[in-house]
Formats: sequence, structure tokens, C-alpha cells
Amino acid sequence: MTDQLVMGPDTGPSTPAAPDREAAARRTARGRRWRRTAVLALGWVAIYAVWEATSWWFGSRLLPRPHEVLQSAIEIIETGNFVGDFSASVLKTFAGFGVAALVGAPIGYAMGRSRYWRAFFHDGVTIAGTIPAIVYAVMSLIVFGLSNLGPILAVALVSAPYVALNVAEGIRGVDNQLITMSEAFGRTPRQIRREVLVPTIVPFVFAAIRMCFAVAWKVEALTEVFGGRSGVGFQIRTEYQLYDISAVLAWMVLFIAFMLVIERLVLAKAESRLLAWRPEERGAAL
Amino acid sequence: MAVLTVTNLSKTFNLGTARESRILDDISFEVSGQTFVSIVGPSGCGKSTLLNIISGVEEHTSGDITLTSDAGGPARMGYVFQDPRLLPWRSVMKNMMYVQDDQSRDTVARAERYLDMVGLKKNADFYPGQLSGGMQQRVGIARAFAVEPDLLLMDEPFSHLDAITARGLREQLQDIWAQSKKTVVFVTHDVVEAVELSDRIIVLQPGGLIYEDITIDLPRPRRQSDKAVATLQADVLARLETLKAMAAAEPVAEPVA
Amino acid sequence: MTTVSDQPTSASSTVGRRRSTTEIEQDTPQWRKVLTSDPAARVTSLLAFVLFWVVVSALFDRVPGPVAVWTSLVDEFSRGEVFGNFGSTLYRFGVGVALATVVGVAVGVLMGLSQLSRAFLESPVLVALSIPAIIWAFLTVMWFGFGDTGPIITTFLTSVPFVIVNVAQGVRGVSRDLRDMSATYDVPMGRRVRDLVLPAVTGYIAAGVRFAIIIGWNGVLLAEWFGGGGGVGYRARFWYDANRYAGFAAWVVLFVGFIVLLDRFVLDKAIQRSFRWRDAR
Repeated sequence: MTDQLVMGPDTGPSTPAAPDREAAARRTARGRRWRRTAVLALGWVAIYAVWEATSWWFGSRLLPRPHEVLQSAIEIIETGNFVGDFSASVLKTFAGFGVAALVGAPIGYAMGRSRYWRAFFHDGVTIAGTIPAIVYAVMSLIVFGLSNLGPILAVALVSAPYVALNVAEGIRGVDNQLITMSEAFGRTPRQIRREVLVPTIVPFVFAAIRMCFAVAWKVEALTEVFGGRSGVGFQIRTEYQLYDISAVLAWMVLFIAFMLVIERLVLAKAESRLLAWRPEERGAAL
Repeated sequence: MAVLTVTNLSKTFNLGTARESRILDDISFEVSGQTFVSIVGPSGCGKSTLLNIISGVEEHTSGDITLTSDAGGPARMGYVFQDPRLLPWRSVMKNMMYVQDDQSRDTVARAERYLDMVGLKKNADFYPGQLSGGMQQRVGIARAFAVEPDLLLMDEPFSHLDAITARGLREQLQDIWAQSKKTVVFVTHDVVEAVELSDRIIVLQPGGLIYEDITIDLPRPRRQSDKAVATLQADVLARLETLKAMAAAEPVAEPVA
Repeated sequence: MTTVSDQPTSASSTVGRRRSTTEIEQDTPQWRKVLTSDPAARVTSLLAFVLFWVVVSALFDRVPGPVAVWTSLVDEFSRGEVFGNFGSTLYRFGVGVALATVVGVAVGVLMGLSQLSRAFLESPVLVALSIPAIIWAFLTVMWFGFGDTGPIITTFLTSVPFVIVNVAQGVRGVSRDLRDMSATYDVPMGRRVRDLVLPAVTGYIAAGVRFAIIIGWNGVLLAEWFGGGGGVGYRARFWYDANRYAGFAAWVVLFVGFIVLLDRFVLDKAIQRSFRWRDAR
């Protein structure tokens, strides 16, 4: 009962002294935050428990237990040869991205600006966006054989439709009033492109890149599994052929962690720098 | 000498199969230099369309528009819109410079001078999102004056502001205009505002015809509180009484382009 | 009172004149209007694609041209390999996606309605989102052998997180005001879910399922590729391993054609229907 009086600001006899109320509100907020963290931790515990239970059910040969995978991961880190494979995979992913942006952004721009090009590209781009990644992976291997170009092409093929659709969406969302303003002041099409259209689509390009990134590195790894000479996917295939499942999972866990870090650090930083004019970004930067 | 000459101007919109809507019907008028002309009329009479056609943003169906520049070279135009229309990703000063043809130091100084006239010199490095609506509209006005236009077009620039802010801005506009003496075509639905600001009022009626052309001959600076202004406002409103009935009978149809 | 001047006053100064729409319209020739119409653009794009394919197949001798792919397709039909394999893939895929939809909607609604369950499920969903389909394919092949179970589980596991995320987002988007309104009127929980939450979320469910379908195809094909139990993925791998890329491409064409038809005639319609309330403005 006393506890309740302390916790709830409204239950006690009304003493509306402002500092008291504030303190109580702060306390409940802190309590809520603490509870959230606890439940969040519980989520991780649940993941661990499910993993343990599954490997008990199938046996640790078919699904190694978490600590076995951890051990393999430590071994991989200790030998130090993960650096070469990681950087190879990351470089190929970003190279693929570069190609996708170079091809996808102009297509999206044309689709957003002109009715003709919208009709021209629309079907192709939407179809390309629904084709499963495995098709792209194998197709890239057929075109380039066992080489580093295969994964790059696969990433580009998977990402380009997203980039194009997002840029088209962004261009169509351009504030027409800014265009008429520019025309009324006699700005050239080039100036309008640089000062109005490009800044408008930057957030959309970023949205596309962030959305793609999660898909792209998986496709990159997939292509390497099918036929790479280096990279994380190549290691995963090698270990799989040796039936060393805990090494397969260790490579995967390391790669996921690495890619999440890259996404948070590189992409989020670049985004907040380029979008400093947006009020919500300014708030986040403070 | 006439800066703007509009001859037999018509504008029609196609509304699907064989139906068309006439927005402007065979309009002719001239605007001479250094005058402040208002175009007034009920909503749907085509006054904004007329302004867009003069500026070249919209195309006209038939007729002729001629712009004359006494400086030589193509006629320069400034435009103040209903809303500020600033680039949100550029600072106030960069917005001022965006519409300038030459980026010389003189031009920068001129832009600063006009920014100072609207009282926003210290906000030059702000993003538009950091300014209030009234301040943004002042940037819009300074931007239009700073291009030193042969013809300055204004499309109900105060209609989205609250009454007090609008009143302050009207006074500021008069002061700037008195100093620069640009030729202005000002569109508004507010007769009271038009009388306060203009040398001449062209009244449009529904269907896009010219209803009346009134000359306002009052000393400047004018203030809303002046007796003479108030009397003339009442007088003009009385003369437009029949227009009110006309507007009530006419279905408002301003198709979206 | 209006001043009508028939001759524009042009003195020493510069004069600018603008063209009217009537003039511009008269200047555009008829053939140009036909060539720039929407259907013409679509036909041109198809022709451009075929041309591109032919050029690529001429440049890379490993890439089969349209004719070779067509012949393999006809061969595959006459061999009677198409319907059986297609059927088993469809069955596995259908069961997997149906499971993913049911589970995903339930979990997503839960995550959208309750703060605590969201905090609890956030990390598992994040982890599930980031595990590549290939890992699930490897594991399920080992766990369940070469039957239908492996591909079904792979499809389910790869696509369920996407349904969850979409549905949770949709539920959270249900207006707070409407929820408060229901609370003040004491609307019973069952009716609240049926009349408020579900209609508002149907569109997001549809969008989530569509995404799940794209991801799910990838899962089922991968599992079949590494498993040995028949299906589109298995058959495509057969031709790939035999270095007969035209056979592989024939299956791609068949499969992509099917996906496009499904997307266009079933999913698009369903999504439009479920967002009807929103677009009817």
C-alpha cells in the first residue's frame, strides 16, 4: 500500500507540489525503461533457449550448440584469415551497390520525370524486383563463371530495381510548387535538377540503399556459396562440404554482426550528414 | 511605357469529351512601368491562372502576351507565391541566391540589402524549416525583389498568414515598393487589401472577363487605419455589389491543371 | 475602360512573346503522338529486352539465346517433367507461405498491440530477419532429408519475419484516437479486433504476404536446389550441373512467367481490394 502511494502520483492525497510530481513521473519512466530492458534481455535468453532446445532435439552434429559455435568463431578470429574474406565480401557488396545505383538511379529518374519512360520501364523493373535472388546468383555465375564479377553482378541485379523504384517514387513526390517557383524565376533545367530534384531524392536513395543492404549482402554470400573463389560465402561452402556445421554457423554469425555494424556506422553516419536540413535529423544529431 | 501588354488572351481547359471550361475570355490590358496593379475577383474567376500565364508557368490557349524590358535582354520576372516556396535543404541566403543569374559579390550585397529590408539579415544562415511561416514569406518577398525584376508578380502572398502578420507584411511591402518602384501585378481576392496597396485595380468577373478597371489615387504611405483609405475601400466595395450576386450564381469551377 | 492595343508597342527595348497551346499543338506531327503513347512504349521496351538478350548471348557464349531456351522449354514439356516438378514446388511453397501468414499475423498483431511483447519479440525477429536463406536451406536439408518438409520449413522460416514486421507496423499505425474511442465506449475485445484492427491492417497483411512470397520463392528454390526431392529448384540444378544452361534458363523463364502472372492477377487485385477504404477518397 505504501509502495503504491510512492509509485503512483495520482493515488495519494492531492499535494500538487510540482517537484514531487515531476520526481514521481521520472521514477515511473525509469521503472518502465528498466522493465523494457529486462524484457529485451528476456528476448535474447529466449533465442538462446530455442537454439539449445533445437540442438538437443536434432543432436549437436546436425545443429551445434551455441557454445560450440562460439568456439569456432573464436578460432576463426584467432587464425586471422577472416579479414581477407570479410573485406572481399564487403567490397563486392559495395561494388554491386555502386553498379546498381549507377544503373538504377537514372532509370528511376527517367521513370519519375517522363510518362514515356515510366511506361517503358515499369513492367520490367517490377518483374525484376520479384525474381528470387537464387536466379540472379546462378545467372551471374553463368555469365561470368567462377570469378569476383559474379557476386558483384548478382548484387547489382537484385538492388537495381529497388533503387529505380525508390528514385522514381521520390521524383514523383517532388514538390511541384518548387518546380514552378524555379520556372517562374527562369531557372534552367540543369539548375532545377541540381537544386530541387536531386536533394529531394537523396532520402529516397538512402531508404533504398538501407532496404537493399540487408538483402544485398545475403545475395552476395549466396553467390559465393554457389561459385566464389573468396569471401564469406566461399568459406561457408567449404565448411559445409567438410560437414563442419559449427564453422558454417560461426562464419554466418560473424558476418551478420559485421554487416550490422557497417550498416549502423557507415550508412547511418552518411545519412545524417547529408540530411542535416531536415528538422528530425537535426534533433537526432544533438 | 507599357511593361506588360496582354492582347485578346484566352484560356480553356479540356474536360474530357468535347466539354471545355473557359477560364479567361478574350482579355486585353496594359500595365505601364512603376505602377502597382492589383487583379481582384471572386475565386474561380481565373486571376491566378492569368498570373501563371504571364509568368510562363502555364500556357495560354490563344492571344498574345508581350513583355518589354527597358534594360535590354529578356524581361526579368520576380514571383511571390501564396506560400513561401523555399528550398528546405538550402539556407535562407542560398535560397536568395538560387534565383539570381549572376553570383557576383554585388548580387550578394543586393540580396543582403533586401533581406535586411524585411528584417531577416541575422537569419541568413538559417534553414527555412527553422523560421516561422511569416518569416518564410518575408524571405519569399525579399527574394523576388532582389532579382530587380522588370515585372514583379504576386499571387495572394498574404492569404495563408494570420491577420496581424499579414498587416505587418503589407506595410513592409509598401515601404520596399516605395524604395524600389518595381512594376507589380498583385493578385488577391481581398478588395480591402487591393485598395490599400495599389495604384490601379483590375476587377475580373466569373467567366474570365474584365468587369471594371479602377484607378486608386491616394497619397502614400497608406495605412489600414487611415480615414481616406477606409472611405475608398467602402466605396469600391459598394461598386462591386452586383459582382457579388454574379459570383453567387456562378458555380465555382477552377479545374486543377 | 480596358485598353485594347492591336499593335504591341515595341520601341528600342527587348520584347518577349510566348507561344499559345494552339500553336504548339499544331506543330506536333501525328506519327510522334503515336510513337510516344503508353502501349507503344511497352512494346518498344519488350523489343529492347529481346534485342538485349540476343546481343548478350552473342557476346558471352555461355549465355543461351532466346531460340535455344525455347527449344529446351519445348523439350522439357515433351519429356513430361514440367507439371510434376512444378506441382511439388507449388505445394511446398503454398504450405510454407500459408503457415508464415497465419503465424506472422498472430505474432504481428500481438507485437503491435502490446509494448511488452514488442520488447520481448524485437530481438528474435531481428535475428530471424538477418539469417540468410541459404543457412536455413543447409540446415533443413540435414534435419529433414530429401522430402517435402525441408523446403516447407525453409519457406516458412525465411518469410515469417517479413510478415510479422509488416503486420506489427500496420497495427501500430491504427489510430490511437480510434483505440481510445473504442475504450471509452467499452467495445468488447473481440469486436475491437474484428472491426477496428483487422480492417485497418488488411492492407499491411497483404503487403507483408506479397513480400513474404518473393522471399519465400527464394527459400523454396534454395532448399530444393540443395535437397534431392524434385521440384523446380532441383530440375534447374540438374541442367546447371550438366552445363546445359539453356535448360536452366527455360525453367527460369517458366518460373518467372508464373510469378508475374500470379503477382499481376491475384496479388495486385487482393492488395487493391484491401486498401479500398484508403484509396476511395
